[in-house]
This record gives sequence, structure tokens and C-alpha cells, in this order.
Amino acid sequence: MRERLEELRGEGLAAVESASTEADLRAIEVGLLGRKGDITAALKSLGKLPAEERPLMGQLANEVKAAIQASLDAKRATLDAAALEAELSGAGFDPTLPGPGLPGGGQHPISAITRELEDLFLSMGFRIADGPEVELEANNFDALNIPSDHPARESHDTIWITPEEARKGDGSGVVLRTHTSPVQVRALREYGAPLRVVAPGRVFRQETLDATHEHTFHQMEGLVVDKGVGVGHMLHAMNTLIEGVMGRKLETRLRPGFFPFVEPGFELDARCPFCQSGCSVCKGSRWIELMPGGLVHPHVLESAGVDPNEYSGFAFGLGLSRIVMLRYGIDDIRWFMSGSLDFLRQFPA
Amino acid sequence: MLISLNWLNDYVDLSDLSAERIAELLSLHTAEVEGIEEVGAAIADVVVGEVLERAQHPNADKLSVTRVAYGADETVGVVCGAPNVRAGLKIAFAPVGSKLPGDLKIKRAKLRGEESCGMICSERELELSDEHGGILELPEDAPVGVPLVEYLGLKDFVLELDNKSLTHRPDLWGHYGFARELAAILGRELKPLKLAQVEREEAPAEPDGRFAIRIEDPESCRFYAGLEVSLEGEPGPSPAWMQRRLRAVGQRPIDLLVDLTNYLLLETGQPTHAFDRSKVRGDLIRVRRAEAGEKLTTLDDQERSLHGEDLLIADAEGGVALAGVMGGANSEVGPETETILLEAAHFAPTRVRRTAHRLNLRTEASSRFEKTLDPAGTWQAVERFVALLQELRPDARVLGPARTAGSSAADEVSLELDPKRTAELLGLPLAPEEVVDLLQRLGFGVELDGASLRVEVPSWRSSKDVRKPIDLVEEVGRLAGYHRIEARPLAAPIEAIFADPMRQLTRRLGARLMGAHEAFETQGYTFLHADWVQHLSAARGDFVIVDNPVQDQVDLVRQDSMPSLLDQAAGNWRANPAGALFEFGKGYFPQGDALPTQRRWLSILLWQRGEAKHHGPGSAFGRARSLAEDLLRTAGVAWTAETVEAAASLPGWAHPAQILAYGDGAMLVSAIHPRVRAALDLSEAKLMAVRIDLEALLAAQNQEAAFRAPSKFPAIKCDVALALPAELPFAEVDAALRQAGGKILVNLQLFDVYEEGALAEQGQRSLAFHATLQAADRTLSEKEEQKFLRKIGEAAERLGGSLRS
Repeated sequence: MRERLEELRGEGLAAVESASTEADLRAIEVGLLGRKGDITAALKSLGKLPAEERPLMGQLANEVKAAIQASLDAKRATLDAAALEAELSGAGFDPTLPGPGLPGGGQHPISAITRELEDLFLSMGFRIADGPEVELEANNFDALNIPSDHPARESHDTIWITPEEARKGDGSGVVLRTHTSPVQVRALREYGAPLRVVAPGRVFRQETLDATHEHTFHQMEGLVVDKGVGVGHMLHAMNTLIEGVMGRKLETRLRPGFFPFVEPGFELDARCPFCQSGCSVCKGSRWIELMPGGLVHPHVLESAGVDPNEYSGFAFGLGLSRIVMLRYGIDDIRWFMSGSLDFLRQFPA
Repeated sequence: MLISLNWLNDYVDLSDLSAERIAELLSLHTAEVEGIEEVGAAIADVVVGEVLERAQHPNADKLSVTRVAYGADETVGVVCGAPNVRAGLKIAFAPVGSKLPGDLKIKRAKLRGEESCGMICSERELELSDEHGGILELPEDAPVGVPLVEYLGLKDFVLELDNKSLTHRPDLWGHYGFARELAAILGRELKPLKLAQVEREEAPAEPDGRFAIRIEDPESCRFYAGLEVSLEGEPGPSPAWMQRRLRAVGQRPIDLLVDLTNYLLLETGQPTHAFDRSKVRGDLIRVRRAEAGEKLTTLDDQERSLHGEDLLIADAEGGVALAGVMGGANSEVGPETETILLEAAHFAPTRVRRTAHRLNLRTEASSRFEKTLDPAGTWQAVERFVALLQELRPDARVLGPARTAGSSAADEVSLELDPKRTAELLGLPLAPEEVVDLLQRLGFGVELDGASLRVEVPSWRSSKDVRKPIDLVEEVGRLAGYHRIEARPLAAPIEAIFADPMRQLTRRLGARLMGAHEAFETQGYTFLHADWVQHLSAARGDFVIVDNPVQDQVDLVRQDSMPSLLDQAAGNWRANPAGALFEFGKGYFPQGDALPTQRRWLSILLWQRGEAKHHGPGSAFGRARSLAEDLLRTAGVAWTAETVEAAASLPGWAHPAQILAYGDGAMLVSAIHPRVRAALDLSEAKLMAVRIDLEALLAAQNQEAAFRAPSKFPAIKCDVALALPAELPFAEVDAALRQAGGKILVNLQLFDVYEEGALAEQGQRSLAFHATLQAADRTLSEKEEQKFLRKIGEAAERLGGSLRS
């Protein structure tokens, strides 16, 4: 019995010593110490020994068992440490291999900027309003103080639904809106004064398509009507808008500009963000014309049922298409309506 | 419009200001200056020279060999081809290394063996005139070596004004208006125009030995003045200074008479016309509408066919000018003209504009009449014409008083202005006295009347742009200087602005489409090609039609975005065999003459090449359906799929058999009709469309998802395969199985459809499901699972099929 146990100890320890994987260790463990293992079998046969030998052999068997267990544990620790070291060494792992690719879709750049600006204006207490693209002549022109014989109404500028011979000149005609300004009138009629509102949307003009001219483009109208509103407030709102859209404050200046629905009317120029000493964008002037605006003409307030003696207001119109072109350096306006995936893929969701 | 600074200097002293500064002042206070051009810059290198010797070129009959002095230490040899070159002549000389107009650089050259160092210039080469018969001959006392530009007094700067920024200012269509602006901006004196005293009398309607004037359409012509002038000789050319000014602002000098009326127009903004009196037949000037089909050959030698909307100046026999647009060739002044009839008139802007536009004949005159000119300026032009003529041609004689019809009185506009409100609106701290001063500088008459101002608008501003007190606010503001306005934030709002639910909805749907479904947002044109009527098997009357389309035939207004998306897919298809585009776009439906009905759509188009499955999971249709249902979940709308009746009215792009409708048709999931695919050359593509009526979706978005606690008891998952009649729609099978499964069937998901092999030959197909069984109050037993399977089997049998496993 003793010889057998010593033999098992010797074999067991040698096997553990030469084992190199957890599976080897597990096999040794099961073969010697498991329920049907050799040492377990030896312990089971203690009963067959003379009574005086039993305690001695029992003790020896436990010693052998413990020795093998200890050697297994030690070997395991060694193997685990080696495995950890191997894993941490990074050998055989190439983190630069690509993943499966989750391409995702994308947002149209005009929508992206529109949404940014909407959020900016919401934070300043503005509503966001919407108006139809196919609009009544009365809202697009008459209510905006554009006289019935104004050249802008004619077919070479405006896209008409009402046939020329059916136009009555009483505002009942139907046009593709030439600006987002009719939303001024719609919003004032709907909400009354005081009011702060912006209205982004597409507008239409008779233009021959080329790199810088589109018949379909995007604007964002802004309107504030309240008591005591003046040009200073308009300038502040415009400056904020430019900071929002260009990502930083730019020096600005107001110049006279003429639009029938504002009086006085302005053009806002901003310092060219692309150069220090003149470039192709600012045509060497260091200023770029960014946004027209002005104080809402009393006629417009009256058309919308607001008393111009009590209230005043300002309005501005941002050319979204142009701003987006400036911001991303898009050199051809035709990309916007192209639906080309080569274009759309360049803008993230 | 081009404005010469030398010209302005006649009326306001600008000698201490640079052209850049003047341009900036105008841009900031008046109208946009788009450019500054230095007159003579192109010939800045040319100097006065002298021909010292001239000899015949040894090898060329027409060439001379000369020696030229031009102020340099040494004289140079120059070969010259001009017939008038001779010794002792003072010339315009371009030395080697200098530049001439047209990017011509003068280099040392050998002409037929003779060295030539420089060029003796003709007027045309210097762009001084079209004269090219010989070289420019300068006076004998011209100082050699002095730059030609300096010697001729050519130095000038010309500002280019943006015409669009002047449309509302009839007073700014001549130099004098800009002089007035600058005088006001700078607070300097404005010198008056030199005018002659001209007698005038009311013209009779019938000739009385002199000419009569009859305005037959007083709405189109408010005032007409005629003046007979004898030149006492032929016109000949205008003086050099006048030619220089005309050239500087882009006008070609012709002769004294033409130049004089052009000069007058460019100075005062008032067009006039000179008829050759000997060619005007009879003694009656009629201002009348043209007759339909009436012909007039204009000065540009084009025969114009007129209609009743055109205004005509006619003599006793017929038309002699197209009023306000262009004179007639039959009464044109020429080199032999000795007596003229000068016309200065006030024509209605819209009439002039329409005629000019219809005939595509925009002239300097018509573009000014379009602006609603000052009637008082009409008469003033007569007085200025006579003053200029007398200066240039002292012998010329005015033949009798001018005759006029109508009134040259301007509208009297008197306005009340509150200076305090003016300051508030402008956001400028302006004292009433400053407001008074600013308005007076511009020529307004101002009286302080208590707290408010009474303002008389001068005639050159009252014709159009200053009609209301607010117009004065602009005058005050721009003259005070907009740079003085400080930005001020609006007072904070008190009420919250709640997010607009439509905007919230579209943003969520967009984010989901881009994120989960890898779709790209696009924008499509509102206009469709007329061919889409056929593609969509529709009628033209179904569409809103554009009267004047931007492109021939592209005259339909879209009903939804799908045609635009299909056009864009067709453009992408070759390079991108699979893709997804979507647009939040509006569509329009005609309502007779009234404003068309607008619909707001979310339209999505998916395309791919071929597919693994015809229908069901793994098919293109299945993908579109899952996408659509995912969007409903995103929106929080509980619409369910319904099949579509064959007779249902569908958009023309929809496939009548491969389609599902949700929410009473507010959302459609459909394949694209093969007719449309064929029309767009997309027959090989699998195209799937989802279209959602956003307003209906928003209205259906009623409740937030309610929470239900998950069961604490384990679920049993099992797979079930059934053989069922192939023609039986899945929806019926699904409903029957769910009913048979009862409450414990918490999920039933189709994962495979097998439609081939032996089963198919028997008219059957196999449907395989993942089923999940679970109860809220207990752990389900094996017996209950067996019972479930039995019930499913029975249901399959009732449907004419069987349980396969």
C-alpha cells in the first residue's frame, strides 16, 4: 500500500510538473483525486488493511493527496500568470483590423444648419413657424407692401401658378413663394403681437440654373414685434445668428438696403471669416454681405392687424443655402438638390 | 451705374477724399458701391513724346523709321506705320516695358530689319476713341516726358454702383443726385446746377403756326415739354472734356447732339430726346397708345411691332419715338441736323417698363423712367439742356418759348415726424435738433411744431420713396450713420415656448432613419417634368401646373416627394446598387383657382439590386415594411397593416399588388410600379417606397407607451413549422395562430418561408415561427406546452394545413 501511494505521489508530481495546460491539470486532478481517481481508490481500500496500519496509511494517503493538490494549485497559478502575461503582452492581437462597418445615414446639410438655428432661436424665446411653398399673391406681395405693378411680381422674376391672362391684380393669384417673408404675415395673423418667430423654408425664383444660381433655395425668416423694438435689437439678433451659424463672433456693420416690406432697410455685412487681407469669397473687400433686414414696414403690421402706432418690429432674412455653402465650402449650389449620395455621404447624421 | 468722381467734383468738393473713402461713405450711407476703377490706369505708362526724325523704312513702303524723344536720357528708334507720322510731331508714346490696354506689353522688336523700341499710339490703341486712321497728334506745346494721362487730364475714378440698391431712389440715377448725397453726408455745400432761363407756354391742342402737343393718354404721360432749337450750323463733335466724361462712364461719344442729351441724362437722371425738326412731319406732337400691329423702326434699325399697351410719340403722320424707350429712325438727328425739337417728358413707369421688357429693349432712358422720376426734374432738364448748349455753342438759338402739356408740378408731400419715436426706432440717441439738421441737409423742409416736426419732402424724393413718416426715419438713420447703433438684446421672454410637436416628431423620425436605417436625408425639386403625368398614369388636371416654368416642360408641382426621390435614385443607381433616401417634403393638390391643398409628407425610397426572397423576411418589401413599422414605434403610433383593395385609389408610383396601408392609407408601404421603373430605366432595381402623411401621424400620436412589469416566471421558447395552403395570406394565419395560442403566447415571430419542393407541388408552403410562451402567475408545465402545440396543430388543420414539427 505504501509503495502504491508513494508511486502515485511520484507519478502525480511528475505529471503536474510536465503539464502545460489547464486541461492537462484537470486530467491529472480527475485521474488521481477525482471520485474514481487512483488515490481515492486507494483510500477506499484502507478498510482491507489490518487495523493498526489503517491510521498510518490513511495519514500517508492524505499527505499524498495534499501534496498533489498543492502542486496542482501551484502549477495552476504559474499557468494563469503566464496566460495573463501572454494576453497582456498583446501578441497575436491586431487592434488595427477594421470592424464590420456601421455606415449610418446622413442629414442634408441645409437641414442640419436649419435645426441648429431653430434651437438657437428657441433658446431666445422664438417660435418656429411654417408656411406653404405655394402661396397667395396677397401674402407674398400685397401684404408685404410690394405694389401691384412691382417688377418682382412679373413672370421673369416670379414663378406663377395662375396663368398670366387670369391674374386679376387683386392678390387672388397663386405663386410659388419668392421668399419666406409671407410667413411674417401668417404668423402675425395667427399669434398676434408681441411675437418672436423664425420661419425656415424653401423659396422659388425664376433663375437659370448654374453654379451660383438656383430657382429653388432656402431662407430663414426672422420676425420680432413688440413695444419699443428698434434697430439695436435687430442688430443684436443678427449678430447672435451669425455667431450661431459661423461658430464665432464676427465684426458686423449695417448698410442701407432696400426691401419694400421694411423701412428702414439694411444689409448686414460681416468681417470675412476666411481671410485677413481679402480673398475670393469677400472679393477683396474683407466684408461679406450676409443678411438683409429692417424694421417691419407699418403697412405689413397693418395688413396683419397689428397697430403700428403701438407696436414696432424688425425682420431679417437669412439665405440658408448661401450660408451652408460658406460654412462647408460648397462651390456649386446645384449639389443641394442633386440627391447625389457622393454629396450626401459627406454630412453626418 | 457708373459715377465719375471728377464729375461729382463739379457740384461738391471731394478733392480731399480718396476714391476708397468716397465709395465707403456711399456704401454706408446711401447705396452699395461694387467697385472702383481708375480711369486711364490701362495707359498709365504712356508718355508725351516727340518725333525728332522720320525716314522712309528701307524695306517697307508703308513704314517709317523714326527717332523719338520721350523724356528719357536717350532717344530711341521706332518703326511706325501711321501715315501722319512726321518730324516735330508730339505724340503719345509707349516705351519698351510699358503696357497698353488689352494686356499688350511693349517689347523691343525688329520690324523688317529695323530696330523698334516702343510704340507710337493711335487713339484706339489708347482706348480714347475708335480713331485709328493715324497716330494721336498732340499740341505742339505738349511737354515731352509727362505721363499722357496727366497731360490730357484723364485722371479720374469711376465708382460702380449696384443698380439693385438704387431701384427705390429715382433721384440717384444721375451724378447730381450722388453729389447731393455726398454733400449731405459730409455736411458740405452742394453747388447748384447751372440752368438757363427758358420761357414756356401751354401748348395748344391744334397747330397754330407753331407745333401743338396733344397728350391723349394722360395716365401714361403726366407732362410733355417741347423746345425748338436752331444750332446755327451742323452739330459736329462734342468738346473733348465732355467726350472724356462720357467715356469714363462707359458711353461712346457720337456727336454734339447725342452727347449732349446723354450727358444731361447722366448728370440729372432725366432722359430727353432730340428729334431732327425737319424730319418731324407737320406741327402736331401726339402722345398716344400705339395701334395693334403698328410698326416703328427704332434708332437701332430694328422694326418693332407694337401693340395697344405701348405708348408712342407720333407726329402728324405716325410714330416718331417709342415713348421713354427709344427714338424712331425716321426722325433721328444726324450730321446735317440744324434744328431740333427737344423732348422732355414724364412717362408712367410701369408702361415704359412693360414695353421695354416686352421688346427686350432696356435703354438708359427706360431704366430711368421705370423708377418714377421727379416731374419737376423734367422741366429742369430743359433749362439745363439750354445752359449746356449755350456753353458749347454760343450761337445756338432757342426758337420761341418751350411748349408744354400737362403739369410738371411734383406731388406735395408733407409729413409729421416724432423725433423721440425716431430715435427709439433707430436705437440712436438723437436730439430733435440733430434730426432737423440731418433732414435739412438732404433738402427736406423742416419746421419744429411742438414736440413733432413738420417735414416738406422735396420734389426729387416725393415721387416715390418718401411718402410716410417711417421713410423719414430711414433718412435720419442713414445720414446719422448706422455705425452709431449699438446692439441691444431683447428683453427676456416670460412665457415658455413649448416645443412644436411636429418638429419633435420629424426630428425623431429623421434621427431614426439616419441612425438605424442608414438612410440619407435629401431635398428634391418641387417641380416635375410633364412626362411624370404618363409615368404616374395620372391626368394633368391632377396636378398644380406652373404657368411659367423655369425649364421647358418642367411644369408640374409635385403631389409628394416620391417622383423626386425616384429621379434621384435613378441618378445614383449605377454607382450605388443599394441605397436609401428620404425627404420631409411638401406636396400640393389643385383646388380650382384657390390656394392648392398642401400635404406634408415623409417619403422614403429604398433600392437594391436583386433580392434573396420575393416576399417575407429577407425580401426588399419585408425590409421596407419593418422600417415603416419601426417608424410607427418611434412615433408612438399604433397603426396596423391592412391590405389594399384592388380598386383603391393609390399614388401612381404605387404597385397595386405589392402594397400595405396603415392608418387608413396615411402610411403606405409599397413596391414601385413597374411602369415607373421602366420609365426611369430602373427595371433591374428593387425599389420600395414608404410614404407617411405627417399630419395624420401627428394626430394619431396619442399616448406614451405604458409600462407593464415583466413576468417573474420563466418563458418557454419553441419553434413551430406549419404546412399551409400557399395562397392563404400570412395575416390570416398569424391571426388564427395567435387566437389558438391564447394568453400564454406572448410572442410569435415568423422566421422562414419555404415555398419550394414537394410541398409547393401540393399547393402548400411551410411557415416557421419562433414562439415564446409565458404566464404572469406561474411557471408553465410541460403539459401546457404540449397543449399549446396541439392547439396550433388544430388551427393549422382548420386552415387546410398541418403541423410539421
